[in-house]
Amino acid sequence: MSDQSGTPRVRADLRPALGAAAALLATMAIAAALLALGGHSPAVAFGALARGAFGSWHNFISVTLVQATPLLLTGLAVALAFKARVWNIGAEGQLHAGALAGVAVAVSVPASSAFLLLPATLLAAAAAGALWASVPAAMKTRMGVGEVITTLLMNFVALFLAQFLVHGPLRESRGVFNQTDAIPAAAQLPTLIPGFRLHLGFLIGILIAVALWLYLARTPGGFRIRAVGASPRAAEVSGRFRTTPVIWRAFLVSGAIAGLAGWIQVSGITHRMYEGLSPGWGYTAIAVALLARLHPLAAVLTAIVFGALSAGGGAMQREAGVPDVWVRGIEALVILAVLTVDRVLQTIDRRAARGSPRAAHSRA
Amino acid sequence: MTAAVSLRGVTKRFGALRALDAVDFELAPGEIHGLLGENGAGKTTLARVVAGLLAPDAGRVQIGGREVRLGSAAEARALGVAMVHQHFSLVPRFTGFENVALFNAEAWTPRGGVRDDYRGRIEARAAELRLPVQLDVPVERMGVADRQRIEILKALMGETRVLLLDEPTAVLAPQEVEGLFAVLRRVAAAGTGIVLVAHKLDEVLAAAGRVTVLRRGRWVLTREAGGVTARELADAMVGVGGVAAGLPGGGSVLAGQEAPAPAIVAELKDVSAASVSGAGLRGVSLAVRRGEILGIAGVGGNGQRTLASVLAGLQAPDAGEAVLPAEAGWIPQERDGEGLVNDFTIAENVALAVHAKGAYRRGPWLDWAEVEEAAAALVGEMDVRSGAPGVAAGTLSGGNQQKMVAGREFLRSGKLLVAESPTRGLDVKATVAVRERITALAKHGDRAPGIVLISTDLDEILELSDRIAVMVRGRLIPVPPEDHNPAAIGELMLGAGSRGGVRHQADARDRPGARETAG
Amino acid sequence: MARRGLRTPVPDVAALSSFLVSAVGLAVPLALAALGETVSQRAGVINIGLEGSVIWGALGGALGSLAGGGYAGLLAGALAGGAAALVFAVFAVRLNTDQIITGTAVTIGSLGFTGALYQSRFGVTGVALELETLPAWELPLLSRIPVVGPALFDQALTAYLVYVMVPLLAWLLFRTRWGLALRAVGESPEAAHAAGVPVVRTRMLAAVFAGLMAGLAGAHLSLVHTGTFAENMSAGKGFIAIAVVVLGRWRPAGVLAAALFFGGAEALQFALQAFDADLPYPLFLALPYVLSLAALAGWFGRSRAPEGLALPWPRRGH
Repeated sequence: MSDQSGTPRVRADLRPALGAAAALLATMAIAAALLALGGHSPAVAFGALARGAFGSWHNFISVTLVQATPLLLTGLAVALAFKARVWNIGAEGQLHAGALAGVAVAVSVPASSAFLLLPATLLAAAAAGALWASVPAAMKTRMGVGEVITTLLMNFVALFLAQFLVHGPLRESRGVFNQTDAIPAAAQLPTLIPGFRLHLGFLIGILIAVALWLYLARTPGGFRIRAVGASPRAAEVSGRFRTTPVIWRAFLVSGAIAGLAGWIQVSGITHRMYEGLSPGWGYTAIAVALLARLHPLAAVLTAIVFGALSAGGGAMQREAGVPDVWVRGIEALVILAVLTVDRVLQTIDRRAARGSPRAAHSRA
Repeated sequence: MTAAVSLRGVTKRFGALRALDAVDFELAPGEIHGLLGENGAGKTTLARVVAGLLAPDAGRVQIGGREVRLGSAAEARALGVAMVHQHFSLVPRFTGFENVALFNAEAWTPRGGVRDDYRGRIEARAAELRLPVQLDVPVERMGVADRQRIEILKALMGETRVLLLDEPTAVLAPQEVEGLFAVLRRVAAAGTGIVLVAHKLDEVLAAAGRVTVLRRGRWVLTREAGGVTARELADAMVGVGGVAAGLPGGGSVLAGQEAPAPAIVAELKDVSAASVSGAGLRGVSLAVRRGEILGIAGVGGNGQRTLASVLAGLQAPDAGEAVLPAEAGWIPQERDGEGLVNDFTIAENVALAVHAKGAYRRGPWLDWAEVEEAAAALVGEMDVRSGAPGVAAGTLSGGNQQKMVAGREFLRSGKLLVAESPTRGLDVKATVAVRERITALAKHGDRAPGIVLISTDLDEILELSDRIAVMVRGRLIPVPPEDHNPAAIGELMLGAGSRGGVRHQADARDRPGARETAG
Repeated sequence: MARRGLRTPVPDVAALSSFLVSAVGLAVPLALAALGETVSQRAGVINIGLEGSVIWGALGGALGSLAGGGYAGLLAGALAGGAAALVFAVFAVRLNTDQIITGTAVTIGSLGFTGALYQSRFGVTGVALELETLPAWELPLLSRIPVVGPALFDQALTAYLVYVMVPLLAWLLFRTRWGLALRAVGESPEAAHAAGVPVVRTRMLAAVFAGLMAGLAGAHLSLVHTGTFAENMSAGKGFIAIAVVVLGRWRPAGVLAAALFFGGAEALQFALQAFDADLPYPLFLALPYVLSLAALAGWFGRSRAPEGLALPWPRRGH
């Protein structure tokens, strides 16, 4: 059986990776052309970017991987939701909800043991993220309101809620800046390697990636998520299960992971919550997930790619005089390139498929 | 007189399937022309070719004597061709008036506003056709007959020379059908040629002046409605003298029935069930035994879908008793999107059926090795060509997809298998192969399931079934073995009820002894 | 502390009037972008890239103004916003890629590339750009109406564009063949196609129109509101405009009211912030979003997005 299935399986597994690689190459080509058009040397710019991201252990571990951590978590959140065809573009809001809940627990619970406080805060963050996602979930499953607009609206509610809390109830006791008090040491995620800023959160991200991969690939529940994403009707008729609970699960787990992303950033790096915690990770996450073809393990790689882009952006600005905002432009090019490659592949598929049996039996 | 529509040698292929095969067709101005055939005979395809919605692969199309560019909906429209689709093309949230106006250029002034007198013209036209319509109600809040009237009025507001109606009666109650035909007669009397696509013989005979029968994409006959009987048309539709005639009569099947009866695997007793769309079930009784194929014949939309979902356990009966196995296999009518997921591998499609079963789990994990083994076995057993557990289902041909689905549904439940039009849309070779596989499943000895074969294809029913019943308007009429021939069954399928004579005759003949056979 | 605000006497007319001026000023860019997005969504296209069109409009406005004065800037802003939307439409409509993901990409990319262009033109340090602002046109008589007069009739051209656009779009959308066809495309592209409406072309045009309007909104930010350009100065206005469309129930008049509501909330927040820092003003800012959600949930009666919104055409099989 294995020899029989060997060939096609390799093809099925490699194609997304090849597509992603093609998209990245196309992006680099277009970015190079645009840089040249803007009067910059692409080679110098890319060189500086690469050095900034990978040039030293410090750059790679303390900057690139640190930047990659929230992108990995939100990317996983988006990937899982999209897998079930739940268009959760509310990771940004769920991230803020999670960060707020974590901070609230950390500064208000008088526990001194990290063994108690850290799990409690992580749990609170995940719960808050899930809670934030439950509003669009309820509106979708009970009222048939599409989640695109609702998750987007929820982002703004979360941003303003965060703003309110750091200006008011959670404001630091000194009353100088609009930020929370520093969280106690017991609520801080430990660093992984002495002398580097990389913290346990990165490892948590990788663990979640592995867990999600196992879940999607190896468990009945994960299989149902994929089935609903592939064809809700077939899931009901041939899978004989109701899609609503599966959609709920996708929303809640996705929200929980995004919630963790926010709190892990605070707990591992900033140690305080303030306005503008996230530069839009919840949106970049869409690019991370998409480039990974929604595969959790691949998302580790693509999160590092985007982490490197944002880490290298600074170096590009310093060394090559290329504004670091180019990085955001490159992110956008990646998304558009992936979408285009997808369409091209689909068109090839359709041409390759023999005839059109679909048309034949729907119109007899 | 110039023909309103003239088709010469029109061929349309979908992949390997020839939906139309060198068909000639002519529509005279002012006639109602019934276009008959079973599901998949090519009726809708022909209508869509005339409307310019499909470009044929070969052949010529003339409208009003003018050669038209193939596949140009705009040109067909300009020449006065309008089509009323089976699934209406109305904007649900628009009112009746808005839907009519959207479709008709003459509703608008050059500056883009609605003509002041257009509403009056719609009302006048509706009155003239005696077509009661609701112009100010959103279509989504109308009943289906009201929607159809809007659709028809929409098509008839312009200079319509040719009106194509695809199964317009399928959604209507009998009394509404008569109203529709009265409207159509008035329209035809004004010179418009009408093509009435249908598969209910009695209705077509009641409305049409001429009828054309298609069968498997080929032209079979065109006759004056007055000069042909329902019986002749039924024979033409199901192809007496063709494949079916070569089949043995009831004899051998009868012998099978008298053998010691194996266990009953599923039983319905006087079951009634509502349906969201189409007919529900009204007092249906049946019993299926291991190793037999119970064929359910009938014109589509007579409650077959509801029967399938009740038997598969997806829908509970509203009344009556259903004794069913815990799980039943169901080969649904739509492969793509119901029966399988194209993007999934064969193993994953198999997992759709077995992922919740204990045998395919190890602790919290889905045991993919086990699933792949089952998939590999299935590929071999069902003869799924170019298939392997890791191959995407979408790359298989239709026939092989269907064999895979059949095998998977057998894997789901070894007791009861419901096959719903399993060869629909398949070419001849694939049809033969799928039928072989289904027959083979029924001969699985002690492990053989009871199979309920629901099909609108009478050939298929006759070829595969041990026992046969006909589904008409939600009721199940058993067919005694001596009537296992196309003519007798075709007559039962006629849509008993509106042509009272046939129905009573059939019922009367059925009653004695037949109850027990199917019940 | 918060109590103090409540105890102050009722604000006098002058304060109310200046609050209204500020509210209308803040509402204008929202209304412009949201009116465009209304047309786009009515055609079934949700353009999350609207934010990108706004920021391009702001930069285009600034560059155009430097080159040829304020009104040239306004035009350049509209065109820049339209160009961003054209990129979106080529992907999301012509290539039929996912609207949400494409729009997100256009927004991210626009924020990046406008920043890059700005920095390459004016330096990384970003010396504050001083632009000539568009003058307010004081309409005789009307601007003398007590309280609301100055707020409504002593504004720059952009505000009057809104006043013209609202009835014009309402007429176009609900009284003309063009509007009926456009709405049909958004509700049921199949039915529109069957009626001979060119679905793809309609959607392209609608999306680009939304971009032009969002570009005007951006130009308003740089040429009327601030007189300068700053990176990220769109500050979510494009996203807010989408919420405005929802709260305005996809109708021009409703959208205008919703924009005024959002603008009022923002103006109130500024007023309160200046007045008493302890008031929970961010909650005022969140309120319109919560109400938009409530509107979608049907708390104020039925409010439904166009049936075909964000759905691909032609339909993709999966």
